[in-house]
Amino acid sequence: MSFQAETGILTQVDGSSQIQSQKTKIFCSVTGPIEPKARQELPTQLALEIIVRPSLGVPNTREKLIEDKLRAVFTPLITRYLYPRQLCQITLQILSSGESEQEFTQREVANSINATLLALIDAGIALNSMCAAISLAISSDDKLIMDPNDEQLKAAKSVHVLALELVESSTVVKNVLLLDSYGDFNEKQLFDILEQGEISLLKLGKEIRSIVESKIINSNLIIQK
Amino acid sequence: MSRLEIYSPEGLRLDGRRWNELRRFESSINTHPHASDGSSYLEQGNNKIITLVKGPKEPTSRSQVDTNKALLRISVNITQFSKFERSKSSHRNERRVLEMQTALVRTFEKNVMLNLYPRTLIDIEIHVLQQDGGIMGSLLNGITLALIDAGIAMYDYISGISVGLYDTTPLLDVNSLEETAMSSVTLGVVGKSEKLSLLLVEDKIPLDRMETVLAIGIAGAHRIRDLMDEELRSHAEKRVANASSR
Amino acid sequence: MAKEIEISNSESKFLLEALRQNYRLDGRSFSQFRDVKIAFGDEYGDVTIEMGKTKVHCRISCQITQPYEDRPFEGLFLISTENSPMAGPQFENGNNTNEDEVLIARIIEKAVRRSGALDIEGLCIVAGSKCWAVRADVHFLNCDGGFIDASCIAVMAGLLHFRKPDITVHGEQVIMHPVDEREPVPLGILHVPICVTFSFFNPMDTEENIKGDTNAEITIIDATLKEELLRDGVLTVTLNKNREVVQVSKAGGLPMDALSLMECCRKAYAITEEITDKITYVLKKDEKRRNKFADLLTSENARETS
Repeated sequence: MSFQAETGILTQVDGSSQIQSQKTKIFCSVTGPIEPKARQELPTQLALEIIVRPSLGVPNTREKLIEDKLRAVFTPLITRYLYPRQLCQITLQILSSGESEQEFTQREVANSINATLLALIDAGIALNSMCAAISLAISSDDKLIMDPNDEQLKAAKSVHVLALELVESSTVVKNVLLLDSYGDFNEKQLFDILEQGEISLLKLGKEIRSIVESKIINSNLIIQK
Repeated sequence: MSRLEIYSPEGLRLDGRRWNELRRFESSINTHPHASDGSSYLEQGNNKIITLVKGPKEPTSRSQVDTNKALLRISVNITQFSKFERSKSSHRNERRVLEMQTALVRTFEKNVMLNLYPRTLIDIEIHVLQQDGGIMGSLLNGITLALIDAGIAMYDYISGISVGLYDTTPLLDVNSLEETAMSSVTLGVVGKSEKLSLLLVEDKIPLDRMETVLAIGIAGAHRIRDLMDEELRSHAEKRVANASSR
Repeated sequence: MAKEIEISNSESKFLLEALRQNYRLDGRSFSQFRDVKIAFGDEYGDVTIEMGKTKVHCRISCQITQPYEDRPFEGLFLISTENSPMAGPQFENGNNTNEDEVLIARIIEKAVRRSGALDIEGLCIVAGSKCWAVRADVHFLNCDGGFIDASCIAVMAGLLHFRKPDITVHGEQVIMHPVDEREPVPLGILHVPICVTFSFFNPMDTEENIKGDTNAEITIIDATLKEELLRDGVLTVTLNKNREVVQVSKAGGLPMDALSLMECCRKAYAITEEITDKITYVLKKDEKRRNKFADLLTSENARETS
């Protein structure tokens, strides 16, 4: 899975990132910790507001579903007890979905997770650990495709999104954060997905780390000047 | 549909006016003394508008309190029966009406001495009973009159008017038939100056004609200011006479 | 709760004093428009506009629907300008009744839709039963002032760039040809409106502004966010290259002399010309990039070599 990412591109928010992988292009912004509305406030921990905006049309149930999946991934990842009675606003703007919007959300979910992680790091929100996500598909001849494009998704027998929690400098997988599968597949294939997914997500985790590292080195250089 | 002759070769408009003539302008103030602190009823052509000013009064909620100046709030109620054909929806939350309210608030914010009334709310309620073109200008006139009736300090009158442009001829104070047939400009002029507080153009007008249109508009607005002034003074005289006879 | 952006007293005093001495914080002159960067995406009608730090993305899309009953010969055109907290925490998600947001939406609507920039009659396919519905989704990514100006450029550049799939009509039956089978067709654009926003500052007291005749008010073009927060009045002029005023909106604010407002319109025209040319230039460049072999195929080329 190849992708380009950039962080710290927006000025009015605390953290931001832009990610492009094939034809999928997503902007993510993070603002927080800020004062929440009364109904969002949690007495002991950080509240999350996740907003996903589609590139075409108005947000509807499809975007709500993506928001829910992201919430499931990031709720255990953020060190929420550090920010009681605070709010973190995560906004994702999909510029180009890179898949048929009526049928699939896989590419958007996987890339949104990676973009959100980068933006959270850029915003300096405390995290328990790293994560990485990828979309997968099993083609009609039972081959596993990593990061499938729109045509491959359409031709696939089943489609999946896998997000893993990575620890110890992204060398060890701690937990499965999300495994979301649709279509026709058997047990062996599912384990295959976990196995193969793990290998490429560990690689992806390193890539994400190197993006963050180079960002930190650059900002240190600026400070030293 | 027969085509209307907006401006005849003899120089007459649909309602028999010349290009530089205003519509009938009649106004009265203190029309609702029990319902409000200041009120006006305005007829500009077939526009009929009631304006009520309530305040300066205690703000209804804590969040509205500004320790430095008064809060100005304007709500415009365009009645469903205000046009020839009854409209199906109440116009309350239409974007167009919200925009009008915002524009009116921002116009009067700079002209009312709000700093004299800290921690208060000035509430202006407008009811449009009938509309016949150039409504925005009439709203400005109605508010000016009602604010003066309420005794709220202002720097100067604000008079509003719309000017249409028919081919190359500017037509002063357009009615609704003229307004739909051509593009028009709405102005809000401060007193007898050439300063514009409000300027709205919603349709295409050649850039090089703008200046003449503005000039005619300003002249018309000054005339309206005088008409309002006349009404206010005669009203004041009546009141003084009443008070002294008691 | 949309969090209001606050600006400190010392910062606002500094900015106003600088304006009084003819300086702006970003070093521009008073009548200088920020450099506009226009970038197209892979798809048709995918545009990103950058003006300084302001960043706006616009995506044009279309589909076939039924026209309105009272307008059977016209297609549908909708511009959606919804704000999200991405542009700054002052914007609330899904709540677009904020005064400024209503004004932005209305001005774009008047400038582009009501002025007939898009030929909606050309969107009709079968009168009364089928037509194109064109939709422009404007996304505000980063806010540093000039949203109206930037989104107007974004929508117009997007419309000019967009191609809709070619169709064949057999009576009531419509065949839509996929983009890779037949060259898609551009939309009919009748004129290109460009918005230019002026901000007014009053360096003296209110009475001087209303009663005096010094006309010392400061006028700047294309304000940044900080300047927008502190300004006393605003004027948005929309013009096109045909010297037509498409829309003017000075919704209250600091009273300004009519002649200086006219002067603003004239200044806006020069900027309009410049930006329109810029849009045409980038469109041509993009066209060339997309169709590398067009030059080889044209007959002009053949004549040159002979």
